[in-house]
Amino acid sequence: MLARRLIPLFAAALSALGQTRTQLDLDSFEKVWTTVRDKHWQVKPAGLDWQAIHDEYRPKVENAASHDAARAIMQEMLGRLKESHFAIIPGTVYSAIDDEGEGPGTAGIDARVLDGHAVVTSVDPGSPAEKQGVRPGWQIERTHGIDLEPLIRQARSNPVIHELQLTRAVLARLSGPIGGTLDATFLNSSGSKVNVTLDLTAPRGQTSGFGNLPPQHVWFESKKLGSTGYFRFNMFLDLPRVMAGFQQTVEGCQACDGLIIDLRGNPGGIGGMAMGMAGFLVDKPNQRLGTMYLRDSTLNFVVNPRADVFSGPVAVLVDGCSASTSEIFAGGLKDLGRARVFGTHTAAAALPSAFERLPNGDGFQYAVANYISEGGQPLEGLGVTPDVLVELTPAALLAGHDPVVDAALNWIRRQKKP
Amino acid sequence: MNRRVLLLPLVLQVCFAADPLPSAESILDRYVQVTGGKQAYEKRKTEIAHGTVEFPALGIKGTMTRYAAEPDKYYYTVEIEAIGKMETGINGPIAWENSAILGPRLKTGVERAEAIREGSLSATLNWRKLYPKVENQGIETIDGEECFKVAMTPAEGQPVIGYFQKKSGLQVKLTTIASSQLGDIPVEMIASDYKNFGGILEPAKVIQKAGPQEFSMTIDRVEVNPAIPPETFALPAEIRKLVDKTAAK
Repeated sequence: MLARRLIPLFAAALSALGQTRTQLDLDSFEKVWTTVRDKHWQVKPAGLDWQAIHDEYRPKVENAASHDAARAIMQEMLGRLKESHFAIIPGTVYSAIDDEGEGPGTAGIDARVLDGHAVVTSVDPGSPAEKQGVRPGWQIERTHGIDLEPLIRQARSNPVIHELQLTRAVLARLSGPIGGTLDATFLNSSGSKVNVTLDLTAPRGQTSGFGNLPPQHVWFESKKLGSTGYFRFNMFLDLPRVMAGFQQTVEGCQACDGLIIDLRGNPGGIGGMAMGMAGFLVDKPNQRLGTMYLRDSTLNFVVNPRADVFSGPVAVLVDGCSASTSEIFAGGLKDLGRARVFGTHTAAAALPSAFERLPNGDGFQYAVANYISEGGQPLEGLGVTPDVLVELTPAALLAGHDPVVDAALNWIRRQKKP
Repeated sequence: MNRRVLLLPLVLQVCFAADPLPSAESILDRYVQVTGGKQAYEKRKTEIAHGTVEFPALGIKGTMTRYAAEPDKYYYTVEIEAIGKMETGINGPIAWENSAILGPRLKTGVERAEAIREGSLSATLNWRKLYPKVENQGIETIDGEECFKVAMTPAEGQPVIGYFQKKSGLQVKLTTIASSQLGDIPVEMIASDYKNFGGILEPAKVIQKAGPQEFSMTIDRVEVNPAIPPETFALPAEIRKLVDKTAAK
């Protein structure tokens, strides 16, 4: 008797669950559709009758048998745009690649996923990691008591997740509150496990604010590699300091045999800085890096040649975490024939594309502008393909080499005048 | 009978629409008059305006100072902590700008003509010289106030559409397509909070939307006819180098 009473209760509960699921998917559908309608860079997105698209797909979502089916329908709708960076990311994956981290504290480790493993690619001088003997090339197995392999496997199995998001997710797992600690397990050069507890300190660089953006730690590094100038910075922010640092590098490098600008790991920042920096390298007037198309205007990314321009060979280093302004800079200089690009394919995220959580828990990625590099190729979704493809390897890192820098130096040395 | 009644509103409509619009010339002359009059403008030989700028969407604020001297000197500087110093100037036929972000450059073509036109201290008074063709295009309501819509076409560049309140004669809005090195940018400016700065009424607040960017400028005070050292308008060293480089080519 009790069982009979429970059955209707379960049925009602399941029915309510079904209705909730459908409603959440419908709310998500409306959010996706409305976002494209209001924020796509064309008033008529991709030339489509977007209202007709709504009327075609909403009933399909309403009648979808499952959440997965609803997501597939929304993805199909976005596919009609035939544009990259419009995607629905399953909620489970979205949570897995969460790059919020637990705090700004860092042990001074930079890392990338190489051959399916998280690998230390650099260790900040004087950082807790360096003091504890952590070395580039070491594999990172566990952080905060959690294996990294499942995260990497799950993210790599989803084509929507790119190297940039995966790397950010890995780096977030190396972070924590300043003053806290990071328990980590590494595989060292001989393949032995090394368990260390690392102090978490403030990130490298100076805190820099830019309006509503949260404060960021910005650093740059300027040095000479023999007779070649080298400039690296972690983001296109802290404009007065970074631009002045770059200017000093260029001015101090007029006798250099070449200049390396290292944008690996640089996620971008203020777009205008790409134009300003290019002005130190391009002598010809009326050149541009590319063109950005927004809903109500078109912006040319022009280059203003400075009075004193560096005229020697320029190598730009990039990787899958070079994004946005980094891609605009690297792609534009490559297209103008002013720089040779070394490294791996960039993030293909030149635009201010955004990620938002949908009511049903999935993630939604969308772009609000289109950017065409001077060579005629959209950077969004395609990124910059290096002239010379060079990958980091754990073996090279363990041997103390940076094969990307080495390749750039070799090229510059070959450009020397006899 | 019924037919006559029905037609009456149409007759009234025709009578109303046939009211002649004032000429564009009279609207622009009235603007000179209501903002201080010819004499007040003629007395103004130099000025220094001090104020603030804000990009609300970005959360960025800064200070601005604008120097101007008859007949053809202008220097405008904005300082924003996160961006650095941005300068623009006119010295005779040379129009230039310099910023930490984009570097120094000389303005050319239509952009140069626009800069010289807008930088002139006597631009309001001398609208006839700057805009050979003006036309009253009708009436539009802005914030509940009827405004005359006046198209002013310069010798070089796109027409500027000014909106002048029917009641007060003050200009409350301007639209144009501005020529810039980034491209032709649609610009809309909303002027408000007119204040008397040394005998001339000027909008103390201007909100400008240029393409995707919106910013506001608030003028706090204006120094009237101060002595401005000539070096204020001198070309900065980087600009001078570009002038020399251009001349050498």
